[in-house]
Amino acid sequence: MLNEREILSTLEMLKNEHLDVRTVTMGINLFDCASHDLECVKDRIFSKITEYASRLVLVCDQVGDKYGIPVVNKRIAVSPVAILGAPFEAESMVEIAKILNQAAKTVGVDFIGGFSALVEKGIAKGDRMLIEAIPQALAETQRVCASVNVASTRAGINMDAVGLMAQVIKRAAGLSADRDGIGCAKLCVFANIPQDIPFMAGAYLGIGEAEAVINVGVSGPGVVKKAIDRALSSGADMDLGRISELIKRTAYKVTRIGELIGREVAENLNTQFGVVDLSLAPTPNVGDSVGEIFQSLGLHSIGVPGTTVALAMINDAVKKGGAFASSHVGGLSGAFIPVSEDLNISDAAAGGYLSLEKLEALTSVCSVGLDMVAIPGDTSEDTLAGIIADEMAIGVINKKTTACRIIPVPGKSAGEHAYFGGLLGQSVIMAVKNREGGNPFMRLGGRIPAPIHSLNN
Amino acid sequence: MNKLVISVLGPDRPGIIAAVTRILFEQDCNIENVSQTILQSEFSGIFIISLPERLQPEALEAHLREGLTPLKQQISVKRLEPQRPVFNGQHAEPFVITTMGPDQKGLVAKITEIIALHGVNVTNLQAVFKGGDNPTDNVMIYEVDVPSEVDQQRLRNDLTARARDLGLQISIQHRQIFEVLNRI
Repeated sequence: MLNEREILSTLEMLKNEHLDVRTVTMGINLFDCASHDLECVKDRIFSKITEYASRLVLVCDQVGDKYGIPVVNKRIAVSPVAILGAPFEAESMVEIAKILNQAAKTVGVDFIGGFSALVEKGIAKGDRMLIEAIPQALAETQRVCASVNVASTRAGINMDAVGLMAQVIKRAAGLSADRDGIGCAKLCVFANIPQDIPFMAGAYLGIGEAEAVINVGVSGPGVVKKAIDRALSSGADMDLGRISELIKRTAYKVTRIGELIGREVAENLNTQFGVVDLSLAPTPNVGDSVGEIFQSLGLHSIGVPGTTVALAMINDAVKKGGAFASSHVGGLSGAFIPVSEDLNISDAAAGGYLSLEKLEALTSVCSVGLDMVAIPGDTSEDTLAGIIADEMAIGVINKKTTACRIIPVPGKSAGEHAYFGGLLGQSVIMAVKNREGGNPFMRLGGRIPAPIHSLNN
Repeated sequence: MNKLVISVLGPDRPGIIAAVTRILFEQDCNIENVSQTILQSEFSGIFIISLPERLQPEALEAHLREGLTPLKQQISVKRLEPQRPVFNGQHAEPFVITTMGPDQKGLVAKITEIIALHGVNVTNLQAVFKGGDNPTDNVMIYEVDVPSEVDQQRLRNDLTARARDLGLQISIQHRQIFEVLNRI
C-alpha cells in the first residue's frame, strides 16, 4: 500500500516542478551501411534507421502515458559519419547528412546526432571531409547535429583540429546568418566526448557500443530548486551539508525515473538499455532553470562570487544521488549551464552578472562547457580557436568532458540579442574581451601532448 | 478448520485491539490476518481467525460482545466461506488513480462507476475531503488492478472525461512509478 504523501509528492514533482524525461535517444550502429557507392550507403542508412526507430516515438509516448511522465524529446544517435563515410568527399558527406535528416523526419524525431568525427590525435581523410562538410550540412538540414572531438586526456589537444573547427564554426554561422547563426547551435566541439551522450548536439553512438541502444537523459532543475526552496522556508536548520544531502536525494528520484522509462522503452523495442545521463538540463521556461537554483541558495545571480563553489556542490551531489539510483550512468551527467537555453542564465548574462570568463571558470566544475554562448559575429578565427582551446585544456587536464557550443552571431555585436527559438532559446550576445589583433599562438598548430598522469596537484 | 471474519467498529480509544486479541487468545483462536484503520475519530478493524474445533462461532461472538461493549464497539462475526474469488487479479497491472479538485457529493460514486464499468478492481482507496480551495485538501487515491484484457486507453479516456465533468484533475499512473521514486 502506498502512502498518501508518496503519491502527492510525486504528483507535485510532475505537475508543478517540470519533472520529465528530457530525452530518450536511440543509438543505432550504421557501420554495416558502409559502401564505396554513395547511393547504396544512403539507401542502407535510410532503411536501417527507419526500421530500427520506426516505433521509437510511439513506444516512448506509450511508456510515458503509462507512468504519467512525459518523454519530451525522442532522438537518434548514429555511428560517427566520418568513419562510415570515409571513402567520400565533402559533397557526398552533405548528401549523407540529408539522408539522416530525412530518416529523422520519417520516424518523427526532432534531432539526429552523429555527424561526427573523432580527431583528438589526428585527422584522417574521412574526418577532414566530414569537418569540411559540416557548415553546409547544418545549413541544409534541420535535424542533424554535428560533433567533433578534438582533445582527450589520453591523447592531448589536436591544435590543428581546434583551428579547423574555429573556421568551421565561422562558416556555419555565416551560412545561417539569416537565423542568427543557428547552424552553430547544432555543433559541439569536445574534449573527452563520452560515447553514450543522449543529449544534443553531442549525441553519437560510440564505436564500442552495441548494435542499438537506448540512452536516457533526465531533467529536473525545477525539482531541485523547489526542494531547496521548501527546505529553506520550512525553518529547518539547513546548512550546506544538509542541502547537498537534499540535492542528492532529489537527484536519486529523478534518476530512478530515467532508469525505469529507459529500461521499459528498451524492452518494448527489443533493444539494449544503455545509460541514464544525470544532467540537470534546463529549458527556457521559468521554473525549469539551473540558474534559479543559485538564487534559491541565496546567490544574487549565477555569476556572482560564490557561483563556482555552489555549482561544484550541486554537480557533485547530483552525481552521488544519481550513481546510487542507477547501475548504468553515463553521458555528461552533471549540471548544464547553457546560456540561451536557460532563461535565468540568459538574464544573468544580459544583466552583466555573468561573463564569458566566469562561464569558463564554471566549466571546470560542471559537466559540459561553454554551451549555447552567443558572441559577436566579428570574433576572429584566432580568438575563437583560443576560446575553444582554453576550454579543451580544462577538460583534458581535469580528466573530464568539456565542450564548446558557441555561436558567433553574424552582423551582431556584444549587448545585442540573438534569437534561436524553441528549446534553443535566446540570449544576449556576450562580450569577448581582449580580442583585438591576431593571435599567432593559435596558428602554431600541432598537438599539445597528453598530460602527465601522476604528480597530481 | 473453521475460519471467521470479525469486524469491530466504534469510537477510537486505547485498548480496543488489546481487548479483542486477549479474548481471541483466551479462546485459543489463531489470528491469520488483521487490518485496522482510523477514520477521523472512528476505529475499524477486520480480523480473520481460525477457530479451534471445540469452539462455536456464537460462543466466541458472545465473549467478544461481553468484552467490547464497555468500549462501545460494535461486533460482527461471520464464517469465511472458501470460494473462488470473483476477480482474478493474476493477470492484472497495478495502477494508481488520483484526483484532486473541489469537493461535492457523489465524487467517489461517479469515479468508481467508471472503474467498475471497465471491470477494474479497487484494492485500496484513500479519500480526504476537507473542503476549501487547496487541491491537496480534496484528494481521492484509488489503487486499482487493471486486468490485462482491459483496454487501457478507453479506461483512461473515460476516466479523464468523467473527471473533467466533475471539475477534477486526474492522474492515472502505473503504481511502479511511486515505488521506484520513493523506495529503495
